Amino acid sequence: MQDTIDKDPETIAKEVVDEGIEKGLARLTPEIITQTINQVLTQETGARFKAYVETCMRCGLCSDACSIFLSNDRKPQYSPAAKVKQTILEMINKKGHVSKEFLKDAVRISYTECNVCKRCAMYCPFGIDIAYMMLTVRRICHKLEITPLYIQDTVNSHSATMNQMWVKEDEWIDTLQWQEEDAREDFEDLRIPLDKDGADIMYSIIAPEPKFQAGLIYQTAVIMHAAGMNWTMPSFPGWDNSNMAMYTGDYEISGRIAQAHYDAAARLHVKKVVMGECGHAFRSVYDVGNRWVGWEMPPFELVHAIDFFHGLLTSGRIKVKEKYKKTVTLHDPCNIHRGRCLHNKAREMVNILCENFIEMTPNKEHNYCCGAGGGVINCGPPWKGTRMTNNREKAEQLKRTGAEVLIAPCHNCHSGLEDIVHHYELGMEIKFFGDIIYEVMEKTVFQKGD
Amino acid sequence: MATAEMNGATFEIDEDGFLLDYGAFNENWIEYVRGQEGIDELNEEHTKVIEVLQDYYEKNGIAPMVRVLSKLTKFKLKHIYELFPSGPGKGACKMAGLPKPTGCV
Repeated sequence: MQDTIDKDPETIAKEVVDEGIEKGLARLTPEIITQTINQVLTQETGARFKAYVETCMRCGLCSDACSIFLSNDRKPQYSPAAKVKQTILEMINKKGHVSKEFLKDAVRISYTECNVCKRCAMYCPFGIDIAYMMLTVRRICHKLEITPLYIQDTVNSHSATMNQMWVKEDEWIDTLQWQEEDAREDFEDLRIPLDKDGADIMYSIIAPEPKFQAGLIYQTAVIMHAAGMNWTMPSFPGWDNSNMAMYTGDYEISGRIAQAHYDAAARLHVKKVVMGECGHAFRSVYDVGNRWVGWEMPPFELVHAIDFFHGLLTSGRIKVKEKYKKTVTLHDPCNIHRGRCLHNKAREMVNILCENFIEMTPNKEHNYCCGAGGGVINCGPPWKGTRMTNNREKAEQLKRTGAEVLIAPCHNCHSGLEDIVHHYELGMEIKFFGDIIYEVMEKTVFQKGD
Repeated sequence: MATAEMNGATFEIDEDGFLLDYGAFNENWIEYVRGQEGIDELNEEHTKVIEVLQDYYEKNGIAPMVRVLSKLTKFKLKHIYELFPSGPGKGACKMAGLPKPTGCV
């Protein structure tokens, strides 16, 4: 790898203006910059960080592991190792004495050119977790208050409401009751039980569902009812399991969000938490939030929807009336497949539900990120153009399948893949597992002995 | 800066195609988004959704929850999606000239 990395001329030409970053940079002084960087480097990192910095041999195996690198014609500056070199390594070498121009690039690289998907970590012969290195850069940027505008707004919402889309408590309850009423078209005695003490299951979701996609709540309620589940949803904050603060580097807010979710489950004395189809949310409470609050693992069972739906379908609690006919392919979300090995269960489900399954390549834990993950899509419209350029490899991977329908069991993936399908004119329909199950299931209530 | 044109009018838009200046909203913008969203013909129900979104946005500085939109228009959720196939957050907010909502959408 070359010693100095020139900025991509195309990147300079289309320099993005992000109000959050610009305003934040204007407030900074050289003293604040140096002090903040050194505080994080000396007080918030330890042996792991030091080992990563000292172990990288610049072998370049991480490069081809990164779909953003591949999407940009293998330009060296997009290699994961180069992203480290252009950001955190420079901060270390210069002992925190870096310019505002440097920081502007560090924000762009760490928040918008890395999905913290950990594919590179899997291919690194030493297992260096470059995602962690990029998240450390983000932590510094957060403390310098130079985060991208749109994602910061979601964190502001998290901190004020404990959900990411400014949903108020009365509106949340009203939305659940509304969907309960609508879902009675399928089962006239259907309930979405709120705050049911001692229920077997607490079902938690992310805020875009009540905000705009309330039909997803309807579908899950129908599935829960048909399967005869003893379930509940909290009427109070803690219902949103998403966590954008984990991705901006605001670990204090991130910890509070995870804690609220755990507290909701504890307050309702439920046996387990079932989380909706979202990947980063799962990572935030199964991998990150638990360690922030000081637990090795949460003290109750916590499962992703794939795990849960898989159980319903294989135990016969939900029966398939007629298999889904269109050709489908499956996108493996990084946080639940590479991160939690649910890819085999997901495949078993596809085969139970659908007649025509086409694998994409690469797949399972080797799959490319949707390009939206790690908070990248949340950086919003200013970064949409570069995101589409960075997703070219993903678009080609999707196109090769030739499938009509793309199943993506994660909200972030869903939104990002929609953008790719639209931008690259792939003409694919994108669905959650919940959409397919609702469509093909028998709408009868499970009886013991069935 | 990206721009959109319709009937001789030019609009500044963000990279997701949302109107940058809410004050620039007019009939030409509606017509532009109609084409973008692949909606064949607009009727008074589309207009009702746009009016409700704008009224709420002007008072609250944010797009309403779909529940509020449904209450104020008296349209069921499924019908809102029939009117705006890409949904209330993307299609309807865009046509009403609101900024793109933040969050995982």
